[in-house]
Amino acid sequence: MALLETRDLSKSFGALTAVNAVNLRVEAGTLHSIIGPNGAGKTTLFNLLTGQFPPSAGRITFDGRDITGTRAHRIAHLGLARSFQRTNVFPAFTLLDNVWVAAFACSPTWRGLLWKRTDRYADVTAQARQALTAVGLIDKQNQPAREISHGEQRQLELAIALAAAPRVLLLDEPAAGLSPEETRRMVALVKSLKGRYTIVLIEHKMDIIMSVSDRITVMHFGSLIAEGTPAEIQRNPEVRRAYLGGMAA
Amino acid sequence: MKHPALLVLAAVVLLPLVVRHAIATEILIFAIFGLGLNLLLGYTGLLSFGQATFFGSAAYVAGYLLKYYGIGIFTALGVGIGIGALSALLVGYLCVQRSGLYFIMLTFALNQLFYFIAYQWTSVTGGEDGMPGIPRPALLGIDFRQPLAYYVLVSALFLLSLWVMKRIVESPLGTILQAIRENEVRAEAVGYNVPRFKLLAFVIGGAFSGYAGVLYAMLFGIVPLEAIGFVFSGNVVFATLIGGSGSLYGPIIGSVVFIWLSESMSVVWARWPLLLGVAFVIVVLFFRGGVVEAWARIWRFSKRAT
Repeated sequence: MALLETRDLSKSFGALTAVNAVNLRVEAGTLHSIIGPNGAGKTTLFNLLTGQFPPSAGRITFDGRDITGTRAHRIAHLGLARSFQRTNVFPAFTLLDNVWVAAFACSPTWRGLLWKRTDRYADVTAQARQALTAVGLIDKQNQPAREISHGEQRQLELAIALAAAPRVLLLDEPAAGLSPEETRRMVALVKSLKGRYTIVLIEHKMDIIMSVSDRITVMHFGSLIAEGTPAEIQRNPEVRRAYLGGMAA
Repeated sequence: MKHPALLVLAAVVLLPLVVRHAIATEILIFAIFGLGLNLLLGYTGLLSFGQATFFGSAAYVAGYLLKYYGIGIFTALGVGIGIGALSALLVGYLCVQRSGLYFIMLTFALNQLFYFIAYQWTSVTGGEDGMPGIPRPALLGIDFRQPLAYYVLVSALFLLSLWVMKRIVESPLGTILQAIRENEVRAEAVGYNVPRFKLLAFVIGGAFSGYAGVLYAMLFGIVPLEAIGFVFSGNVVFATLIGGSGSLYGPIIGSVVFIWLSESMSVVWARWPLLLGVAFVIVVLFFRGGVVEAWARIWRFSKRAT
């Protein structure tokens, strides 16, 4: 059975159907990419999966449990963590505090919430440091997030998602706006996470997609038009028409 | 500013030597009120224009019980904390459903609602005349009608509340509230029920307001109608911003400046609020972090000069 699954999932904003009857199956342990032209509804799909807003129709199941309409903060506790397409960190916080607050959210107990000093939570702090180490930012742990580079903020974005020790990572264009060098580092980072987490990845850069994905789903105008391995997707004529458009002609 | 806690302690000891005891007491009471507001304003990023709701409600209820039922000081304070928290729970529940300008207007509107209840319900609150005749009960044989004795009591209670607030802001809750201030969407996404946490901040702030309200009623022996009015709500916001909302100690400094100015200048010059206005403009334009930031900048500058 798939770890994360949607059935006829739809979301309409007025007359616009951003996500249209999507049936997605993400198998445990795989890296599953979702590609599609701008405006295909990829980020809206992510927002539905993580409870940012409820779907207009359809169902979402996670690990056999119906999570349709569950709110974002509950979803995080179930083990789905996401990163955002636009950098979405806590600017005034140090890098360590950025991941600490995420690690605390999903820690097994909130005992001492109102009176225990934050530096007395050794487990949470260790977990936060681990997440920073995983993305290579541990040396800057005491710097405020607003002072680091855009590339580093993208890494921090990922560290916040990792800090909660999730089962599924939903990454929304982790390489958005990165230089070629930073992109290479990000790809290496995503590859290093592969196998340890079930990853759902939205990305625009085709070379990244082709090199890291186990499976690829193609979205177009809110609907899924194809699914398969990277090789299958590259051969699929319908995908070439819809996604590559003029380039394939 | 290496040891702010020691500075506060020194200030508490020196304050009654510099100003009249009643004013010194009022400064500390107002500082407790400001500490509660600042959990919302500085830490959570919520501008509440209705803190007098909790301050006034607690003062009326505890004042009534002190006056007609002869309860003790600590019972009165307990009642005040309870009423402050409860009224904040009611008001907060409605307010946290909205954000931004709507949130601010709701805190203000509900404050007006409570104000008019107090204004109309003259048989209990005394309406415009206020609720006079509130005693300061003796405790362990100490007569708190002595201004200095009452000051000592209030300063002990003030230091206690500062310690409690320090623990709260250094706890995970303090970090979570600041995370909500920094980025509400992300705070929700990493697993925090944002409205619930805002409500918790409201209730704690309300408890502090209620606590201050009871001490205020006992200080002046009356609950004036203004204690539940929006001007009072505005004053505490004003004082906190002048002191510096970015720091735990900001509201204390703001309270010293605000109460001292209003008490000393109002005697000399009827248009003293003009001075406050000027101070406020300077803070907003040049020192967004209030006196605390101004002090830090002067400190850095003088260090560089030597």
